[in-house]
Amino acid sequence: MSADVYDLVVVGAGPAGLAAAIEAHAQGLRTLVIDEQRAAGGQIFRQPPKEFGEPVRSPVGYPWAADLLTDAADASGIDWWFESTVFGVLDARSTGRDDFDVLVTRPQGARRAHARRLLIATGAYDMPVAIPGWTMPGVLMAGAAQGLLKAQHVRATGPIVLTGSHPLMLIVAAQLVRAGAEVTEVAFARGMPSLRELLAAAPAIPGHVRLLVELAGCVLTLAGHGVRLSTSTVPTAITGTDGVSGVRLAKADRAWRVRGAEREVPARTVVLGYGFHASTELARQVGCSVHWDSAAGGWLVAVDERFETDVPGIFVAGEPTGVSGAEQSRAEGAAAGAAIAADLGRPVDGRRAGAVRRDLRRSRRFAAVVQRMFAPERPGLVSLATADTTICRCEAIPRSDVDGFLRANPHADTVDAVKLACRTGMGPCQGRYCESTVGGAVAAARGGTVPGAARFAAHVPIKPVPLQAYAELFDADGAETP
Amino acid sequence: MKTEPLADRVVPRRRDVSFLVDGRPVRAAAGETVAAAMLAEGERCFARRRGEDRALLCNMGTCFECAVTVDDVPLTRTCMTTVRDGMDVRTGE
Amino acid sequence: MRYDAVVIGGGLLGGALTWMLARDGASVLLLEKDQLNQHASGQNAGSLHFQLEYRMVENGWESARTAAAAMPLHLDAAQAWTRLGDELGESVGVVQRGGFMLAETAEQVAVLERKVGLEQEWGLDVALLDGDEARRVAPYLSESVLAAAFCPIEGKAETRIAGPALVRGALRLGAEVRTHTRVTALARDGGGWKVAATGPEGDLDVRADTVMIAAGVWTTEVGALAGAELPTIPLALMMSVTAPVEPFIGHLIQHAGTKLSLKQTLDGTVLIGGGWPAALGRSGMSPDLEARPRLLPDSIVGNARAAIGVVPGTARLPIVRSWTGTTTITPDQLPLVGEVPGCPGMFVATGGSAFTLGPSFARSLCDLAAGRTPLIDLRPYAPDRFGVNA
Repeated sequence: MSADVYDLVVVGAGPAGLAAAIEAHAQGLRTLVIDEQRAAGGQIFRQPPKEFGEPVRSPVGYPWAADLLTDAADASGIDWWFESTVFGVLDARSTGRDDFDVLVTRPQGARRAHARRLLIATGAYDMPVAIPGWTMPGVLMAGAAQGLLKAQHVRATGPIVLTGSHPLMLIVAAQLVRAGAEVTEVAFARGMPSLRELLAAAPAIPGHVRLLVELAGCVLTLAGHGVRLSTSTVPTAITGTDGVSGVRLAKADRAWRVRGAEREVPARTVVLGYGFHASTELARQVGCSVHWDSAAGGWLVAVDERFETDVPGIFVAGEPTGVSGAEQSRAEGAAAGAAIAADLGRPVDGRRAGAVRRDLRRSRRFAAVVQRMFAPERPGLVSLATADTTICRCEAIPRSDVDGFLRANPHADTVDAVKLACRTGMGPCQGRYCESTVGGAVAAARGGTVPGAARFAAHVPIKPVPLQAYAELFDADGAETP
Repeated sequence: MKTEPLADRVVPRRRDVSFLVDGRPVRAAAGETVAAAMLAEGERCFARRRGEDRALLCNMGTCFECAVTVDDVPLTRTCMTTVRDGMDVRTGE
Repeated sequence: MRYDAVVIGGGLLGGALTWMLARDGASVLLLEKDQLNQHASGQNAGSLHFQLEYRMVENGWESARTAAAAMPLHLDAAQAWTRLGDELGESVGVVQRGGFMLAETAEQVAVLERKVGLEQEWGLDVALLDGDEARRVAPYLSESVLAAAFCPIEGKAETRIAGPALVRGALRLGAEVRTHTRVTALARDGGGWKVAATGPEGDLDVRADTVMIAAGVWTTEVGALAGAELPTIPLALMMSVTAPVEPFIGHLIQHAGTKLSLKQTLDGTVLIGGGWPAALGRSGMSPDLEARPRLLPDSIVGNARAAIGVVPGTARLPIVRSWTGTTTITPDQLPLVGEVPGCPGMFVATGGSAFTLGPSFARSLCDLAAGRTPLIDLRPYAPDRFGVNA
């Protein structure tokens, strides 16, 4: 059905996807935006439900967020498929058609959208770190603690201890404290930045003063509430018999390996904040090349300066090109939207392109500093997983299974080989929460690196869908289901 | 299983919506996600993995630790599902 | 370096050959160009099917009769799989609680009747049940099933672990394995063979009395290194697997009128396949066997509808993963098993159902290599039967 061919399908309604859709739409492209949530905003600009009756709010540090959301909503003519999951993309061009088949599950059933161009703006997710006890009820990723508060006004039960390596923890901790939660400690893996590091970071400040002021404000809030801020500290175990009752912390060296005595801190909630991994599964499934950048979110999609991947017609913007924050995501989305419009023959606005390039340069400087300062020490983190620690949460597989397989099979040296034998990565999260830890275990066993252990193959569906969804992709006589 | 709640509501809300968790009535405010409501109402077990209780972890639809059978649909992510009157949630406990 | 035997290909067949040769007292080197079990052996449905499959009956009766000539291999394989776990000393996940081939139309029932007759001639234990009888044994089957052919020895093995378990068995017996190692040349050397390969530690040159080609889709390519023509046709297929669910499908399910294989594993996951095609990678006009085949929308839909049609309970099951793999078939649907034409001491086995028949292939080739008469008459599977090697 030609009526269903879009010039551009955007996967993800976060800042990158929205900026791209607005740009493309302004250039007259027929645009569809697909997102799993009920409304636009992605994770960073996630809003409370409309039933709560609150106005659209910009998070502190991103004053442009509310405008972005309203601009997108006001752009009449953009189609929106919310509560919809893109579970795969098939390249129809080898069968003579000029588009991509975007496979989607919607509340009303499975659908295909045809896209002449595709923008994958699937964001990032909290970086998983496997430690003893991390599967107990009461452990939350930092994004979850923040999202529950921001979008549902639900606060985790205290005492809350946050442990990790990313400055987001300061923001989340302060938000929790201001909402009346009992936060007792925020423990950072790295040591305090040296003066030299801070000076090297200075060029990134222009345009980011608000964010830095916000961060300073968070530190003051925490200090004012007696929250302990510790550095060079890693968690060695989350303890409890019927849910979380405490966390053991220990001093760590520069490689984030335990070097000091442990101390036990009471807690009913432990928040893990080690940063983010790029969500690249859809891009990988459709065949885009990826490369490893540990500090920028792990496996990243390779793009050129127009944000096109090595699969012609598929563009990627935002965190999947390198986790760099909302501002960079917006700039990338705008640039990608313009590039796609140009690709489809629309005129290029040189002045606007120049402005976007400037935005990108500035946000890249800032992002690079943040990435460098808070880069994860992966071997140290992987060493926190003991033999009994669950490495694959979905299949409840302990590290000892993985290490045992690697010992018994000296020729196995990829995460896919481990997956096939041990089942790590075969559950519903499809390896998102164990790929890097399994990679780290392979690296440790083989004296290699995490990227050297390769990655899990990304398959359709990139999120689980009922078999019924497959059956519904055509109706009985082979035409599209309307 | 209900014991001490893992979370609570920042401000009290009118809990007009009633749904079932393993056959037990649970109240929620309109617009809440099933996961947030379950946490706030003292539910601690979402999914079970080889006999272990699991609860909400990522709250954004990537980890599936909150995914249970809702209205007969297996692996429904409760963190992405808005409560509805009469919704039937089965944690497999 | 000298070995009694070199095995090319580290899948199920390569593992079985290496283990059996080592058990026979041979010094063996197994060469695998990627990871063990990475390709078809680790990607297929793991069906232990001994009834004629849909692909054998869909092209008419003459070709079904020809395909039925593989029955002795199937009967031998059935027993081999039953014994394998005990012989190896570790489980390979074999479950043999029976398999059904279903009919939903009168035409398909007629196909089943003829098929059962043919199979019984060959000595297979198979019986035709009507729909109600079938549903008594298998209550998960839909009302639309009119009849079902039931074979009690059918079932499944665990593809994820079988091949590697065989290799571990071989290692315990002193065999050697090199992965990431690709064979680049095969040349006669007196009464044996020179095998050249390239791997992460550089080039490798070894001599062996016997070479076993267990290279799956790369059989033709490897045969060509020795100057032999081994005709195989690559076929890309798709499979899907669900999240675990309480056990409710106790048998292997296939269908007389459509491509379908359906089974539930010991983990509770349901494997759905049956031969639905995927698109082979292409490099210009030729197939690119290194590229991952692409899923085809018609197959995604068709496979799902075939499964839901006969086991409605599968509709709500979440699919966690679909994938593609490539198998080989031969021009007449019968496998290639035997000495490579013009290459004394070099042996090959491949050709459809190679996972199911793997232990049988391996035993036959080891017998040939040792100068023993194989238990099965291998003449119908002769690699030179297509007349391409002068």
